[in-house]
Amino acid sequence: MMSKISNLQCLLLCAGVLFLLSFSHKKACVNSNLPTAKLIFINTVKGNKIVLNDSIYTNPFNETYSISKLRYYITNVSLQGKDNIFKEQNSYHLIDQSEDETQSITFSLQSGIYSSVNFLLGVDSLHNVSGAQTYDLDPAKDMFWTWNSGYVMAKMEGNSPDSKLVNHKFEFHIGGFSGPYNVLKEIRLSFPDKQISFNNGKSYTIIINADINTWWQHSHDIKISEDANVTSPGINAKNISDNYANMFHIEKVMR
Amino acid sequence: MKKKIISILIAGFVVVCAWLLEAGNIKESSSFHATPLQLKIPAGWPKPPINIFANNPLTEEGFQLGRKLFYDGRLSKDGNFSCASCHQQFAAFATYDHDFSHGFNNQFSTRNAPPLFNLAWSKLYNLDGGVNHIELQALSPMTAPNEMAENIDSVLKKLRKDASYQKMFKAAFGTSLINSQRMLKALAQFTGSLISSDSKYDKVKRGEATFNEAEEHGYELFKARCNTCHKEPLFTDYSFRNNGLPLNDFLKDYGRMKITGDPADSLKFKVPTLRNVSVTFPYMHDGRLYSLYKVIDHYSKGIIQSPTLDSSLKKGITFTEEEKTDIVYFLHTLNDTTFEKNKRFSQP
Repeated sequence: MMSKISNLQCLLLCAGVLFLLSFSHKKACVNSNLPTAKLIFINTVKGNKIVLNDSIYTNPFNETYSISKLRYYITNVSLQGKDNIFKEQNSYHLIDQSEDETQSITFSLQSGIYSSVNFLLGVDSLHNVSGAQTYDLDPAKDMFWTWNSGYVMAKMEGNSPDSKLVNHKFEFHIGGFSGPYNVLKEIRLSFPDKQISFNNGKSYTIIINADINTWWQHSHDIKISEDANVTSPGINAKNISDNYANMFHIEKVMR
Repeated sequence: MKKKIISILIAGFVVVCAWLLEAGNIKESSSFHATPLQLKIPAGWPKPPINIFANNPLTEEGFQLGRKLFYDGRLSKDGNFSCASCHQQFAAFATYDHDFSHGFNNQFSTRNAPPLFNLAWSKLYNLDGGVNHIELQALSPMTAPNEMAENIDSVLKKLRKDASYQKMFKAAFGTSLINSQRMLKALAQFTGSLISSDSKYDKVKRGEATFNEAEEHGYELFKARCNTCHKEPLFTDYSFRNNGLPLNDFLKDYGRMKITGDPADSLKFKVPTLRNVSVTFPYMHDGRLYSLYKVIDHYSKGIIQSPTLDSSLKKGITFTEEEKTDIVYFLHTLNDTTFEKNKRFSQP
């Protein structure tokens, strides 16, 4: 009765199954005819992949510390070429060191020649005044201040013998989307190969290394012994953001 | 040929089923109708500065869901503290006779609970203006460890177990998905709908009643001496001002400066509405003044000079004893018992 299944029948069945599976949760917008970009964020300290809680690190001031929590918002992702730009739709991603799936961002894009990947580190100001939102912008993600409406753009928590706080903890909740202490950072990362042609039907993986060691020193010195608690908008948060704006570099692009 | 048609039909069937499933679970199904409502702006009142329902269409089902949530103790850690515990309808949704409100584990709030009404005219919420959207305000007391002491995920878990909430979320939003956004939007539909505009003062303005002599005299005095900040018809201009209260040494509450970081905002708090003031005592951001007479005395002789003191208060505002009495008579005409007794806003 059942003869060999034709290609058309297989395609339709697969489409049906994929359709069924595709709506279980918010998923990446991928069209297999276009090029696909996958950004992978690897958080490190001076080149060593971060291990939460267990690993001990040393900052530029010889203060040792461990990290219990590390999260930051990557939003408004785009790829830019000489005269062309592709912007990811609904581009709001919470990179969370404790959740592997959050550390990559995948999307289809317009084919073309691009020379850099760009994003905002933080949530843009419009979305800080837009009320209750969902998915990665859900206030239940614990990255939103209830007493002073606005997102925590980047959060790092941990412990250090040099902290004078209870349990020797340190907490950096970096936020503030307007005024002189605005911590939003536009990040532009040029491809090592200068230009890359993104071709239809092909996948491109961009490995982005984030060196957390920059949080302590770049434009300003941040010492755990002096500033273990930075949990509201202001000059300390701004200083830390000035530092961490430099934490990213593209390790490689795989095609 | 027949087999080909059958297998294509099967595949088509699978796709259609998947589409319907998806539509039912995530998107609004085509049979979803919520009953739209309009926020009624009282005649003669200014239009609200923004549309608080711009991304949250006001519906009867959304309002009723928000109302149920408002009175639900499960939004707090031990079930004892609903929004309504501190926002009591008979006190125009302030906390009656309390300077600070009671919170989880025998704790107090750190500010006097404001009454809830006419919120559509306010661009910023909380006494320091720290909340920039009506949908977000509920998060502040809900997650404060000294108030309702809960976290969002835990609240949502409780709601999801309740079949009546599943039904009401579906009626309000099209599907029974219960997430933080829907919960907050529903609460905003309820609180944003609370309008108080039927006090004796309002009736006088509409030609339906007349002030007695003392009230009339009080009104004239009010217009001459209080109207700068407590502008009609909302009886506030929603600005942040330092009205000369000495700093509370224990709380060290600097008001708006905590939000903006600007020393020019030191000791500035939101000008409260005077509507329903006769039931929202005690007064001020920390409830330190228990009677309207004490408030008037403060403006007469209690003002503390400071660099951020409001310019309109540099010389204080003086009243004779008779004037004080008449102003208080007038202020009592701002009480709206229709609002305080309106069953539509009561516990469902």
